[in-house]
Amino acid sequence: MSEVIFPTMSEADDATGVLVTWFVDSGDDVTTSTLIAEVAVDKVDAEVYPQSAGTITLLVDEGAEVPQGSVIATIG
Amino acid sequence: MTLYPELTDDARREMLRMMVLIRTYEEAILREYHADKSPGFDIGAGLIPGEMHLSAGQEPVAAGLGAHLTLDDAMTATHRPHHVAIAKGVRLREMTAEIFGRETGLGRGRGGHMHLFDPQTHFSCSGIIAEGLPPALGQAFAFQRRGTDRVAVAVAGEGAANQGAFHESLNLAALWKLPVVFVIEDNDWGISVPRAKSTSVTSNAVRGAAYGMPGIRVEENSVEGVYNAAGEAIARARAGDGPSLIEVHTLRLWGHFEGDAQGYRADLEGVPGHDPLPTYRNGLVERGVITAEDYASMQASAVDRVEDAIAFAKESPIPDPADALKYIFAEGARS
Amino acid sequence: MTMTTGAPGAGASIEPDPGKRKLSTSKAIQEAIAQQMRADEGVFVMGEDVGSYGGIFSSTTGLLEEFGPQRIIDTPISETAFIGTGIGAAVEGMRPIVELMFVDFFGVCMDQIYNHMAKIHYESGGNVQVPMVLMTAVGGGYSDGAQHSQSLWGTFAHLPGMKVVVPSNPYDAKGLMTAAIRSNDPVVFMFHKGVMGLGWMKKNQRSVGAVPEESYEVPIGKARVAREGTDVTIVTLSLSVHHALDVAEKLEPEGISVEVIDLRSLVPLDRDAILASVSKTGRLIVVDEDYQSFGVSGEVIASVAERRPGLLTHVSRVCVPDVPLPYASQLEYGVLPTPARIEAAVREAVADRLSS
Repeated sequence: MSEVIFPTMSEADDATGVLVTWFVDSGDDVTTSTLIAEVAVDKVDAEVYPQSAGTITLLVDEGAEVPQGSVIATIG
Repeated sequence: MTLYPELTDDARREMLRMMVLIRTYEEAILREYHADKSPGFDIGAGLIPGEMHLSAGQEPVAAGLGAHLTLDDAMTATHRPHHVAIAKGVRLREMTAEIFGRETGLGRGRGGHMHLFDPQTHFSCSGIIAEGLPPALGQAFAFQRRGTDRVAVAVAGEGAANQGAFHESLNLAALWKLPVVFVIEDNDWGISVPRAKSTSVTSNAVRGAAYGMPGIRVEENSVEGVYNAAGEAIARARAGDGPSLIEVHTLRLWGHFEGDAQGYRADLEGVPGHDPLPTYRNGLVERGVITAEDYASMQASAVDRVEDAIAFAKESPIPDPADALKYIFAEGARS
Repeated sequence: MTMTTGAPGAGASIEPDPGKRKLSTSKAIQEAIAQQMRADEGVFVMGEDVGSYGGIFSSTTGLLEEFGPQRIIDTPISETAFIGTGIGAAVEGMRPIVELMFVDFFGVCMDQIYNHMAKIHYESGGNVQVPMVLMTAVGGGYSDGAQHSQSLWGTFAHLPGMKVVVPSNPYDAKGLMTAAIRSNDPVVFMFHKGVMGLGWMKKNQRSVGAVPEESYEVPIGKARVAREGTDVTIVTLSLSVHHALDVAEKLEPEGISVEVIDLRSLVPLDRDAILASVSKTGRLIVVDEDYQSFGVSGEVIASVAERRPGLLTHVSRVCVPDVPLPYASQLEYGVLPTPARIEAAVREAVADRLSS
């Protein structure tokens, strides 16, 4: 099982961002080229792609405030 | 179309020939336009209905420009388009048929005298003041993108130089170094409003500097003055050095439109005395560039061509009203 | 200038299965543009802030990085000049996509749009084509005020010579943008800011949806039955489709069956689809975020009334009244065609039924 980490986009260690949009649901099959989420830190957007293929389980809600570096989904 | 990179006697003769052709054409259209609108002037009646804006007196602008332009160069013009259309090489028969509203016209009778489109010569005109300038930028943009040395000439009146589109277009053309030449025909009148009552500067050439491009005013309504200024500006554009602004002080010999009594024009009686055509002809005769017989032959040739075009138009079919909704959309797509 | 006509897009699949891959509407638009730009070097994008900013409403995010500044072009604030530039380039055979940042800005450049872009083909008797896309952001609901919240598609649809498409969701957005770019006609592509799936604006869940990865077209001029029903027809477009679907889902357990027609295009208008639906239900509600009077809602109703007047047992419309859109949220939501207003209209429409 691998983890999907909220990307680090701010230099501040304790920065938080927002999980803006999920493009997949829990239970979907994903590959490394599947766009799974869009996140934002300080109004800068980033797209999130998985590092491995498998079935994804989402761990945070859309719109949630998330500390960068934390786990937002797992892929099994 | 032959280019005349040098002001030779051949060039002079060709430009005079062009001016004669234009004047002959405008006189013929004048005749045809009014022929069936009497006794009272009914603008919507007759074989040529609608507004008519003739360019007699402005021939030097057209002929001077035409000597430097190929069929592949683009031109946008105004509600007063005939002189520059002819000089650009627009097909005379099809142009005339369009003015007569016939099926064989450039626009199949759907555009009329102010909306002439000839793809073969990349010529178009529009009835909205100054709005022909932005599309000329677009044609220049395409030419630049494709790495050609083709240019786009945007012709407008001095009234247009006070419209937003003029200012936006000059800025953008200079910013992007587009191969455009802006030609302002200052014929002193925006319908009935004289230039001094509409324009904050005495010469629009200074507005070129405001937008970062050379500006020149040709003060005399002289075809050779236009030839020289246009030659330089067009060469500059072809070389990739960007746009220029030329203003020509020309003469509107007749009214703004046909039916214009010109009561506002105090100098009306003196106007024919400034006609550029006999002036240029006399000058060339005096210098031995042409003879009186040469001139008569130019006129006869012009009459033949013009009357042929008018006959073609009159013999052409009138569009069927049942087809009025055709050509709204192209309906095709790129594969 | 191009004198040719073209064959309909050969080899382009029409409305394929959506598949599983999801995008937001903004990303779907970006993908459509990118795919067409890869296929045809005559396609380019021009507009304010379309370059490194990626478009104010994310219509062009990522395109500058792939295609460079020669093809993704930031313009000065000169709508007349750059829309006209698009027209001239199109007339010479290129395929420009020009962005008018907010549809509300049409006032400064409408001459180029309706007197030139839309009329050149007709005035030239079909001899000159203008294969151009004018894309623009429409819609309110986030307090941007009267000059930045309008829909105005009725104004554009009213004027002859330009096609008008208004996608409500990612699938239609990509398909209609592809069709618009390929079309030899000028197409006004109007995208509601509220369906783009932007992170900084309230979004409906339907702003993200399945979009085929390959190139495909949604035909211009064809509506879609977004939801089948039997009691009442809602004809609508853009963000209001989402609200109508939300209302339909809510009312189904009560036995009220709502059919939702997503127009997708205004020019051409799919009058057959409207009639087919009203033939089933007899009850017509038009939901339109544009101003009520003299626009799309009247046109839809007139289209039914003049063809089959006997068909209608109920007609109503839920529109923005004839008022400038207010700034304060409470006021703005007092005039927008909200789900609450749509629901009330549906209930009133079926109130004539003796039993539910």
